Amino acid sequence: MANNNQVEMTGVKVKLGASDIIIRTVGYVLISLYALACVFPFLIIIGTSFTNETVIRAEGVKLIPKEFTVKAYEMVVRGGMIWKSYGLTITLTACGTAVGLLIIAMTGYALQRKDFPFRNVISFYIYFTSLFSAGLAPYYLLMTQTYKLNDSYLAVFFPLLMSPWLIILMKNFVKAIPHEITESGKIDGAGDLRIFTSLILPMLKPALATIGLFLALGYWNEWYQSSLFLSSRVAVKPLQWQLYKVVNETQALKNSIAGQYIQLTDVPTESLKMATAVMATGPIVFLYPFVQRYFIGGITVGAVKG
Amino acid sequence: MKKKLLATLLSLSMVMGIVACGKTPADTNTGSDNSQSGNTTQGTDSTGSETASDIDLSEHVVITYMTTGGAPEGNQTDEMLRQLNEILTEKVNAELEVYYIDWTDYLSNYNLTLARMDGTVDLVGTASDWLDAWPNAKNGAFLELSEEMLQTYAPKTWESVSPEHWDLCKYNGNIYLMPEDNYAQWTNHGFAYRLDWAKEAGLADGVKSWEDLTTYFRYVKETYPDVIPWDSDGTQYATMVGGWITSHSNYVPIDGINAGAMWGGSKDDLYTVYSPYMTDTDSLVEFAKMMKEWDEIGVWKTDVLNNTSSDNREDYKIGRVAAEQHHTQTWTDLCSHKDGYTIYDDPNAETGFFYFGEETKNVVALSITHGAMAVSAASKNPERALMVYDLIRNDEECYRLFNYGVEGVSYEITEDGMRKTPDGYNSATDGISVNYWWGRNDDLEIKDSTLNWDAIEKLYKEYDAIKIDYPYGQFVPDVDDIQSKIDNINDIHTTYMKQIAFGKYNGTPEEIVAEYQAALQKAGIDEVTAALQAQFDALYK
Amino acid sequence: MNKSTSTSSTTGIKKRGFFETLWRYRVLELMCLPAVIFFFMFSYMPMPGIWVAFVKYNYRDGIFGSKFVGLDNFKFLAESGKLFDLTKNTILYNIAFILLGNLLAIIVAILLNEMQSKMFKKVSQTMMFLPYFISQVLVGILVYNLLNYDYGFVNEILTALGREKWGPYSDKDVWPVILVIVHLWQQTGYNSVVYFAAIMGIDAEIIEAAKVDGANAFQKIRYIILPGLKPTIVILLLFALGGIVRGNFGLFYNIIGTNSLLYEKTDIIETFVYRATITDFNFSTASAVGLYQSLIGFVMVMTVNFIVKKIDPDYSLF
Repeated sequence: MANNNQVEMTGVKVKLGASDIIIRTVGYVLISLYALACVFPFLIIIGTSFTNETVIRAEGVKLIPKEFTVKAYEMVVRGGMIWKSYGLTITLTACGTAVGLLIIAMTGYALQRKDFPFRNVISFYIYFTSLFSAGLAPYYLLMTQTYKLNDSYLAVFFPLLMSPWLIILMKNFVKAIPHEITESGKIDGAGDLRIFTSLILPMLKPALATIGLFLALGYWNEWYQSSLFLSSRVAVKPLQWQLYKVVNETQALKNSIAGQYIQLTDVPTESLKMATAVMATGPIVFLYPFVQRYFIGGITVGAVKG
Repeated sequence: MKKKLLATLLSLSMVMGIVACGKTPADTNTGSDNSQSGNTTQGTDSTGSETASDIDLSEHVVITYMTTGGAPEGNQTDEMLRQLNEILTEKVNAELEVYYIDWTDYLSNYNLTLARMDGTVDLVGTASDWLDAWPNAKNGAFLELSEEMLQTYAPKTWESVSPEHWDLCKYNGNIYLMPEDNYAQWTNHGFAYRLDWAKEAGLADGVKSWEDLTTYFRYVKETYPDVIPWDSDGTQYATMVGGWITSHSNYVPIDGINAGAMWGGSKDDLYTVYSPYMTDTDSLVEFAKMMKEWDEIGVWKTDVLNNTSSDNREDYKIGRVAAEQHHTQTWTDLCSHKDGYTIYDDPNAETGFFYFGEETKNVVALSITHGAMAVSAASKNPERALMVYDLIRNDEECYRLFNYGVEGVSYEITEDGMRKTPDGYNSATDGISVNYWWGRNDDLEIKDSTLNWDAIEKLYKEYDAIKIDYPYGQFVPDVDDIQSKIDNINDIHTTYMKQIAFGKYNGTPEEIVAEYQAALQKAGIDEVTAALQAQFDALYK
Repeated sequence: MNKSTSTSSTTGIKKRGFFETLWRYRVLELMCLPAVIFFFMFSYMPMPGIWVAFVKYNYRDGIFGSKFVGLDNFKFLAESGKLFDLTKNTILYNIAFILLGNLLAIIVAILLNEMQSKMFKKVSQTMMFLPYFISQVLVGILVYNLLNYDYGFVNEILTALGREKWGPYSDKDVWPVILVIVHLWQQTGYNSVVYFAAIMGIDAEIIEAAKVDGANAFQKIRYIILPGLKPTIVILLLFALGGIVRGNFGLFYNIIGTNSLLYEKTDIIETFVYRATITDFNFSTASAVGLYQSLIGFVMVMTVNFIVKKIDPDYSLF
């Protein structure tokens, strides 16, 4: 970044000016508008979460709460379960991202090495899994009967550890690193592992940040494996499972045939849904600005050469 | 006739035999059946209920009971179970654990849990109309309960259920379900409405027909502009049209074929299968017309089909809507003067119930397998599971604990022998939730003192005078060959009825009904009707 | 140069023998091993279970012991007479999502890269991420509150302006546009990160050199950034292709729900299957539908990957 500015300072600035100004103006305007469009609905969710339930049913969701109340939040934190869920989700996210990132980076690098004879076979082996899956029942039976992972947090930890998509994305990022770097490492007598850890990894910062971010989001937003494998015997459930339950339960029951026979009691209210959503999104929003440092750092091949 | 029945049964059992194909799990199962009957032969010599002493209770076991619905938040359920388990340990050396299946994706999670077949669950709450009881029994999820087993391990249940009722729990000659057959409940649908407003609208006796409903809604809309007559969310299309047909014919639907209950017989000719959705064209056109009228009156919101945020029942309690469409059980709640039901701040306010079929006196009692308990085929302790069930169904102390919780905390008995919640009761911390809908027992029920029993018993009497028992309890449809057609019919029914039942169709009522019936025809509804008729003939003729 | 290395290594296998090659690349193999084991355990192990699509599933007999019924489980899709329309809808929506989604993500990434203010980048990117966190159910509620006839935001504004009200929930033709917009709104922030990171991966020296040579911003984008993004674009498109007949159930179901007035333009395979089988829970039918979707995706990807490989092997997936 500093470099860019210097280049502009040294006289070329005049030439670049016009187009840069156009692009930047257009950029600031468009990005700002789009960002606002993204925030607005979220503000509505926050506003509604503080609104009295009868008002919501009569007039719909609200940006600015009419008849302000924190009742929904009181219900969310009631019993303190939500804090345990935070603990669980944060732990799962941290561990899963760290382990997943390491494996994905190693695999991505190996698969991109031009001299690795098995790279196409393994790439296909991995990619194929994204096309065919056996469906729910065989997967469920394997996880519960063969691996005995029911009621275990490992049943949530493992499936999200990596995906063909993330590995191929990593492979693609590694591709941007010139093969000469590996070659130069070899000439210096470094082994493959050494080349990977000391030469390649430092250059992969934006890739690691991106894929780490995706992994973290995957773990944070996880509810599906939890709903399959964590039964009512497991007291503490991940955060998004709580959200999923609160938000979907009423609708699921209403639309099903059971709804004709069963009386609904304690139906989650709209404000409770919104409050749970706010709580469940919470801290992860602050992850991005943290990750972004690694993007701005960027990579400079020159640095390695020099 | 008998020969034919025998032949069909034989061929049916042969088919089942081929399906089972002598696979090992089936073998082990029959094996265990034999050993159980072997164990119990000495037992049946004595009076049955006294055999508990012969049963080996040396090992303490945990019996898991699976139910639909979410796990409760507070600790009171655990406390109740702790107390209950003390009793169960003493009596049958077992304890009970509740395994909850959340409402979201409940069908898939319920069936997946059964599919594990690893002894995760022992007792399984099930229902023939809304929880696939028969498909699950057919697919091997439930244990065949021999008469000896029931006599030995669940003697009180065995005695309390009549032989005719046990017959209704059989498939292929085996008992699979223990029915909740001694519990008065009516889940026939209708409209709960403001009786006082209906009287204002000139309906002196209240709403007695669909036409009266039109009058009522029109009056409410004009007189109380702030009130939405019925803030429907568009999910009730099937009950609406089903209710209309019940009100305008003698149609008796068969449970458990599809959500729309689109096949059945008529009260005059129970065993001739037909689908009123194909035959009662004029009636359907009338229905389409009336619903268009309701839509134009503004009974519901314009975008009713996508309405996600309404909660009509809660709004009814506070007087923001004028009607609620659900079953009689829900009405018993709405007509009662409970805390927070602010409509009753107005001393004139009263809640009436117009039940579907009121015009034609067409009311069918609930199937006894609407709620039932089954034992998982993979249960490691089926005998003990039955013993536990026998207690929570028939033992007063266990029953009260399991259904109402700890006395003094979750409920207390009033002077006139009814139950109410104690002062300062907080449902989150003091309430229990075990969703026990599979073995409630009127002999042990304690009436809820907050309910409006005068009104409720009056209606129940009316029902008892006109009802017929559910006639098809023994019919377990074999839908394998027609399932693909039924699936497509489901979709057609949903697609068209959504539009018809909320008056949102384009064109004339005649056109939309004709289009709907043509689509059903094309999807093969006649073949389904014929297939069901063949199965009926085999069973009933 | 690259090509020659790879060809020399393949001929190397033949010369040296398989086990020698295996030993020679042991470190790289070990690096792949965790992933290979992972996919074996969690993806390949359940795969034989796909057999469930061809049987009438029985709990006691398990997947492989249940009665074989051939293609019976596929029957209801075929009999519906809607298979073609549903597949068409699903594919058309996906094409729109993929093409417009990537286009928008690229534009956003490029524009962001041109921004000078770090603060602005951070804040705006964080904001763009927010929709990704909103559960589909809430998206459905928000869209309803925005668009409904009686009290939706849009209609309140129209009424305030003295205009006639708009009733999209009874007008099927507007939904393809609305659904695409909602999808883009929800995914672009997330997708643009990939491109943003890819731009960051472009050798900064080249960009500087171009600037010194007098390239303006447009030229820089046209001749350096876009070509630099090409591999990423190709990979993303190829990858998306595999799922071309898989619909985004959450999005469609929560926004359209069961409003049958809109089905003609909004029904996809997933929503149809969900409705038809909601009361007839059946593992086999669901697996059969999944298999149908996989097969189409598989054929598509193999074909396109083959073509890509012919044109430039560097861009192919495998």
